[in-house]
Amino acid sequence: MTPSPSDPSRRLAGQVRRYSHGSRVPDWDRAADLQKAPAVIPDLATTRVSDELREAIEQYMSRYPDRRSAALPALMLAQKVHGWCSPLAIEQVAAVMRLTPGYLSSVATFYDMFETEPKGEHTVYVCTNISCALRGGDAIYEAMVEAAGDDPRMNVRTFECLGACDIAPMASVNGEYVGPLDEADCRQIVDELTSGRPVLEHKRLRDRPSAIDLPMGDGLPTAGRDISNRITASGNDVAGPKDM
Amino acid sequence: MPRPEINWITFSIDGREVKAPENAMLVDAAKYGDVEIPVFCYEPKLGQPVGACRMCLVEIEGIPKLQTGCSTPVKDGMVVHTQTERVHDAQRAVVEFLLINHPLDCPVCDKGGECPLQDITYGWGPGTSRYIEPKRHFVKPLELSPLIAIDRERCILCYRCVRFSQEISEDYQLILNERGAHSFVATFDGHPYVAPFTGNIVELCPVGALISRSYRFRARPWDIEGAGTVCTLCPSQCNVDLTVRDDRVLRVSARDNDEVDDGWLCDKGRFAFQHIHVDERITEPLMRQDGKLVPVDWDTALTAAAQALGEAGPRAAAIADGETTNEEAFLLQRLFRERLDCGNLSARPGGDLPLPLARGLADPALQATVPDLEFAHAVLLLDCDPIDDAPIFDLRLRKGVRRRDMNLVVASARPTALDANATTVLRHAPGTAEALLVALDAALSDDRGNLGGAASAAGSSAQAVQDLLEDLTSAGGDIVILYSERLFGGPRGPQAAEALLNVANRLNLTGEGAGLLEIPIGANGRGVREAGFAATHGPGFAPVANPGLATHGIAEALAEGQLSTLYLLHTDPLRHMSDGELWERALSSAQTVIAHESLMTETVATHADIVFPGEAYAEKEGTLVHPDGRVQRLRRAIGHPTPFNRHPGSGVRAGWQVISDLAKLLGLDFGVFAGSMASQQLFAAVPFFNGLTLDEIGGRGVRWPAREAARLAFGETSREPVALDVPPAAAVPSEDALRVGTFRPLWSSKEVDVSPILQYARPTQVVELSPVDAERFGVADGDKVEVGVNGTQVQGAAKLRHAVPEGTVFVAEGLSDASSSLFNYGTVQLRRLGGSAEESPINPIIGMPAIGESPFNPPRHELRESPPGTAPRMNE
Amino acid sequence: MSTLLFYDEIDKPGLASLSTYHDIGGYSMLRKALDMEPQAIIEQLLASNVRGRGGAGFAMGRKASFLPKGDMDKYLVCNADESEPGTFKDRELMQKNPHLLIEGMAIASYAIGASRAYIFIRGEYMHQADVLDAAIAEAREAGFLGDRVMGSDYSLELWVHRGAGAYICGEETALLDALEGKRGNPRLKPPFPAIEGLYQGPTLINNVETLMNVPHILRMGGEKFAEIGTSGSTGTKVVCVSGCVRRPGNYEVELGTPTRDIIYGLAGGPPEGRKIKCWFPGGSSAPVLPGTDEYMDLPFDFESIAEAGSMLGSAAIIIVDDSVPIVDVALKTAKFYRHESCGKCTPCREGTNWTVKMLERIENGQATPMDLDIMASVCDQILGNCLCVLGDAMAMPISSMIKHFREEFEEHIEMARERNGLGAAIPVMNRDERGPDRSAEYSAVGH
Ligand SMILES: Cc1cc2nc3c(=O)[nH]c(=O)nc-3n(C[C@H](O)[C@H](O)[C@H](O)COP(=O)(O)O)c2cc1C
Ligand code: SF4
Ligand code: FES
Repeated sequence: MTPSPSDPSRRLAGQVRRYSHGSRVPDWDRAADLQKAPAVIPDLATTRVSDELREAIEQYMSRYPDRRSAALPALMLAQKVHGWCSPLAIEQVAAVMRLTPGYLSSVATFYDMFETEPKGEHTVYVCTNISCALRGGDAIYEAMVEAAGDDPRMNVRTFECLGACDIAPMASVNGEYVGPLDEADCRQIVDELTSGRPVLEHKRLRDRPSAIDLPMGDGLPTAGRDISNRITASGNDVAGPKDM
Repeated sequence: MPRPEINWITFSIDGREVKAPENAMLVDAAKYGDVEIPVFCYEPKLGQPVGACRMCLVEIEGIPKLQTGCSTPVKDGMVVHTQTERVHDAQRAVVEFLLINHPLDCPVCDKGGECPLQDITYGWGPGTSRYIEPKRHFVKPLELSPLIAIDRERCILCYRCVRFSQEISEDYQLILNERGAHSFVATFDGHPYVAPFTGNIVELCPVGALISRSYRFRARPWDIEGAGTVCTLCPSQCNVDLTVRDDRVLRVSARDNDEVDDGWLCDKGRFAFQHIHVDERITEPLMRQDGKLVPVDWDTALTAAAQALGEAGPRAAAIADGETTNEEAFLLQRLFRERLDCGNLSARPGGDLPLPLARGLADPALQATVPDLEFAHAVLLLDCDPIDDAPIFDLRLRKGVRRRDMNLVVASARPTALDANATTVLRHAPGTAEALLVALDAALSDDRGNLGGAASAAGSSAQAVQDLLEDLTSAGGDIVILYSERLFGGPRGPQAAEALLNVANRLNLTGEGAGLLEIPIGANGRGVREAGFAATHGPGFAPVANPGLATHGIAEALAEGQLSTLYLLHTDPLRHMSDGELWERALSSAQTVIAHESLMTETVATHADIVFPGEAYAEKEGTLVHPDGRVQRLRRAIGHPTPFNRHPGSGVRAGWQVISDLAKLLGLDFGVFAGSMASQQLFAAVPFFNGLTLDEIGGRGVRWPAREAARLAFGETSREPVALDVPPAAAVPSEDALRVGTFRPLWSSKEVDVSPILQYARPTQVVELSPVDAERFGVADGDKVEVGVNGTQVQGAAKLRHAVPEGTVFVAEGLSDASSSLFNYGTVQLRRLGGSAEESPINPIIGMPAIGESPFNPPRHELRESPPGTAPRMNE
Repeated sequence: MSTLLFYDEIDKPGLASLSTYHDIGGYSMLRKALDMEPQAIIEQLLASNVRGRGGAGFAMGRKASFLPKGDMDKYLVCNADESEPGTFKDRELMQKNPHLLIEGMAIASYAIGASRAYIFIRGEYMHQADVLDAAIAEAREAGFLGDRVMGSDYSLELWVHRGAGAYICGEETALLDALEGKRGNPRLKPPFPAIEGLYQGPTLINNVETLMNVPHILRMGGEKFAEIGTSGSTGTKVVCVSGCVRRPGNYEVELGTPTRDIIYGLAGGPPEGRKIKCWFPGGSSAPVLPGTDEYMDLPFDFESIAEAGSMLGSAAIIIVDDSVPIVDVALKTAKFYRHESCGKCTPCREGTNWTVKMLERIENGQATPMDLDIMASVCDQILGNCLCVLGDAMAMPISSMIKHFREEFEEHIEMARERNGLGAAIPVMNRDERGPDRSAEYSAVGH
């Protein structure tokens, strides 16, 4: 029997629509695992850290009057080693820096460039902020996602203004700025990345002369200039309303 | 270090001239004019204001923007407005913003009725909300730890809890993850927030986001009463407020007393209240018949006890510990001395000190206070770890280092939780604190010979001792030596006391702000002694004609049949005395063991012949003496428990009453008919308590060493340094033998053992060793190992710690099982028994290295206080 | 031809190398500075009246003179976070002429008595950070940095510190926290960094371009420098023009140059057939100005733009042409600030989030014109009530868009409602009256 609309059983908890908080950080809706030991400063006696990583971190620590200043570079190094800021990566940094893993995870989750979940090794940040969007950045992002398909090696993210609006729409491919991009470039980028070739050499920002030395452009790309599409340039905003 | 001076200024708030201390934050200054400025994130206990919530915006003439009252120091002539349209607009705006994502589940929220967000919304909010978008939702509530549930929907991101974890307890486990509106309070990778002080965040949370799991859904504010008293679970004697509903204690909160606890509690104090209402409580007198303890009525038990004591006469002995009040100790020693002519009284597990030394150490001029730990120029932490021995002192020392630039100097055998905060750390061999003191004394008196000899006897070097002394004395003359009564534990206790007094006198620690602070082993160790419960002296350190035996002597005499009757007042010798084996024999040979005890312990169950049900501290009245000499009052919060189905009167009786009744049966009438009368007798009998009244003690306590009359009554003690000899050198580790040191974890107590919510914290044995030794013995972290000597063995899980010096192992004592109280200092053999594959519940508390390290060793200048400026769902 | 300080030789081959830089006279100003009294250098900065190029436009000389004298640990920090949408000048300057920055920093450090200096560069600028690292190594090797700079008694350690992706770290106190290895949360002010900054020591924080002006000021003399530009806005400014223009890029102009010359002259104006709807004069945090002649005639300097109701900010001009709906611009802008809010203070954290949600409802056809009033009021509630000005940085442009384009917003609301099958706007009282549940469409936007 179908309950009538006024029947209170229709409102069982599971059926009430809820909007989840959403987070790029795992565990935000899970309880602590009471079987785990508290996350105190890992003792170097029991945490294995490679010599290279330890020395590199110590090198950074020596640059500052307060060793904690090395947190960002140290996490970057560990992210390079582990592919992402995995719990193990964070514990290793914590052991060397004599900080709690919590301290570092709180830092890592604040900044967009730290990956808090396992990700493909080729990182493409597509700028979808206003200046790029005005020149088709959102469409480039979609083209890039399509080009990447479900290749697990690709990590395509939208990103806030990358500081290269002069080559809008642009992207940062494994840290190399390229632009202005069109949709064909996106396919080329993915091809070149996955085959290990240098990426889009003719559109690298690093080789570009200053604007005044460039010819006057004659307009904007016409395709994909609708900036109303709902791509949010943000590594953070991943989850949306969900039924919970 | 001189305390900041208060300078009163006048400012104007809402048109009124108000006097307030200069540089007080406006929200505090406003209170002097009866003006309330609402706050969320501001909590002065947490250090510098952060100005995050923006609730406290006020208008200050001459400043165009609204300012946060929580972070603006008041100045003379300032003109402040809190009732203008602009301020109201801002306040309504902030409340509206805060309620955007806050669920309106007040009717089912534990905080409802005592919730700052609720109050401020009513008082300052707009009354309505224009927000119609979907609210953010989290799964709720979730376990954050065995003690705390977190409801992230309710969180208003005020930062209080994470600031506590970062800046007060410095465990840095509770963090904020993510950024912006996505931020949430969390721990690393789903680890539980388990540390010694976590419960404070529940009290700090201004909404119902952090909820104590032991209090959840137990009561609403209109069901409960508050009762102020003092926690007796450790010598810190924090001031607590018990939440009582229907004569049951449901919750323990801090009753802020800056002079004692600074408003914090440790998790033991906060959650072990559960021991008051457990099945293990002894609620009626018991006597052993045919080997079993059976209930009897009070008359039978008292008569039997009186008879046993009467027969024993001078062959009786009594030991007091734990929650014993001054009055109980005082009355019991009267009974023993006046009626049994017996002085076998001891409250010192390690043995008694000769009277001049006991008196010398209690000299009021030499007593440091708890706030001195924070304001001193330097503190020497001498072979103790406050985190285990008196946890609240740990927070005070951290505060001193962080905010007052105090120099912390650590000299200890075992790595302490405060090492990372220390300017210098000297690691000596276990059991050689005396040698270290002798070395310090030699360094202070330029006795090169003794210095070298004593330093090496301590397993250290002359240079290290000199460096330590340099750091201790370089900042200024306000020096505090914080030590544990364990210092006097061995056979050379008196010599250690002499050395300590020498050092104190050479450093001239008699001034204000300097001195000694002893952490007694018993929660009221100091009070019990001052009440005269000691073999060597009577009340107020009065000399006695024939001193009795001290703890060790009592045990030996019992074992050899020279003593017959033993009265145990809140004492569990099997667990807490250092020579467990001797005590096993002593208790078995005793003719009569009278146990006055609130919980069924191993000692009671196997050895007691007569059992008087003891009071839990919430049921008690009387006085205590804090380690710094503060006389504090215990006040009854609930009635005495009675056993199920018995007529009233068969249940627990007040301790003073039981001892009085016993005395009466032995023909001695104390004339005490109420707890307060016992206090009066005590105050009259102890010269330096003369003139004290319960009223004067009140809720905050009175430090007797600070009273002029008391100092006069106490009289002089000798300040002349005496010649010291170099104690025997520490045992030397060899190929197969390691030095052994012991420690008593915070959590080793009978109250923890029986509190359901604290089961996770019950300590199990660990054997801490250095990675070097571990490799030598082929031991991996977590392996099961055995240490032992001469046939006595202790087993535990190996814990590799970087900070443990090579050649030394540390084991815990005072555990309910696997206790290391079986052996004293010396060397032990270590043997690996097996891997960790088998299920060995690594205990999170003593298994955690944080006890040895703190995340912070910030550069000194950062420490200065700047001028003002899927887890299971919950189903309890 | 107006004066160029940075761009006359910017594309000179090898400029990033020490040898080329040295050949054109590089580091001679450091030499000169080391022979001067520190105070005399600050006098020159004061005389030049050079204002900060990072956004707030505070006079650099005055800020430097706030630092206490004496030999405590002091620090110089170069703000190379450059994350303000539309801004990309520091990137090009650092990449192409790193030694000018290093020289400027060395002089400024000497002037304030700092022995440690850091360049906080946004983590995304990997190439530029590498260039700086290499340049610093060269400079240290050659004795322009490190122990006893150029043989003097003065020593200076200079390091590049890479950020990791957070706009808020451009805010100077958040930057200090990030540099100290913490979450980049802004701090309460006072105390200002000049008194209590990095590691609680007095700290001077300046933008890349500001610091690059320092050697030029020493070379020309402060007074001479002050003759460039206008009296209130001295010197040149690298203007970043982006968005709907024919030639986006960095253009160095004297402050006070007519805006039209920059947008239409240098950058080529909007594409064929399009008109400028509005423009951000100083990055996305600046209130927008309409593209009308009145505004095109404005001299591009701090005072004139402020008088017109906006701000010069980082001098990043973003052009929006008439084909772009203003609601879309508002939504992009608001989402950016929501994403970048650090979350420390209430009005910014909640206000940006709420604004985005309202704009989304407008976009989805579930809003009424009444929502515009709420939105304006929410912006008002943010303005001036936050811990730092990130909240204001969203509230100001959004308010300005509502102010200048209210009719378009209303039209948009009606059109979107129609598209949504909702008919004319009626006040929305509760969920059910709002028509079909479109919540699934929120899916891309977080919560
Ligand atoms: C949210 C926010 C972001 C900012 N981002 C930057 C930035 O990316 N680069 C910068 O130089 N200044 C930035 N600023 C300005 C700085 O706070 C500061 O005013 C500037 O670095 C001072 O240098 P200047 O005086 O040389 O301009 C930002 C300010 C705020 C409030
Ligand atoms: S959980 Fe409570 S104490 Fe912690 S930030 Fe949220 S509201 Fe504040
Ligand atoms: S109480 Fe002042 S900002 Fe929170």
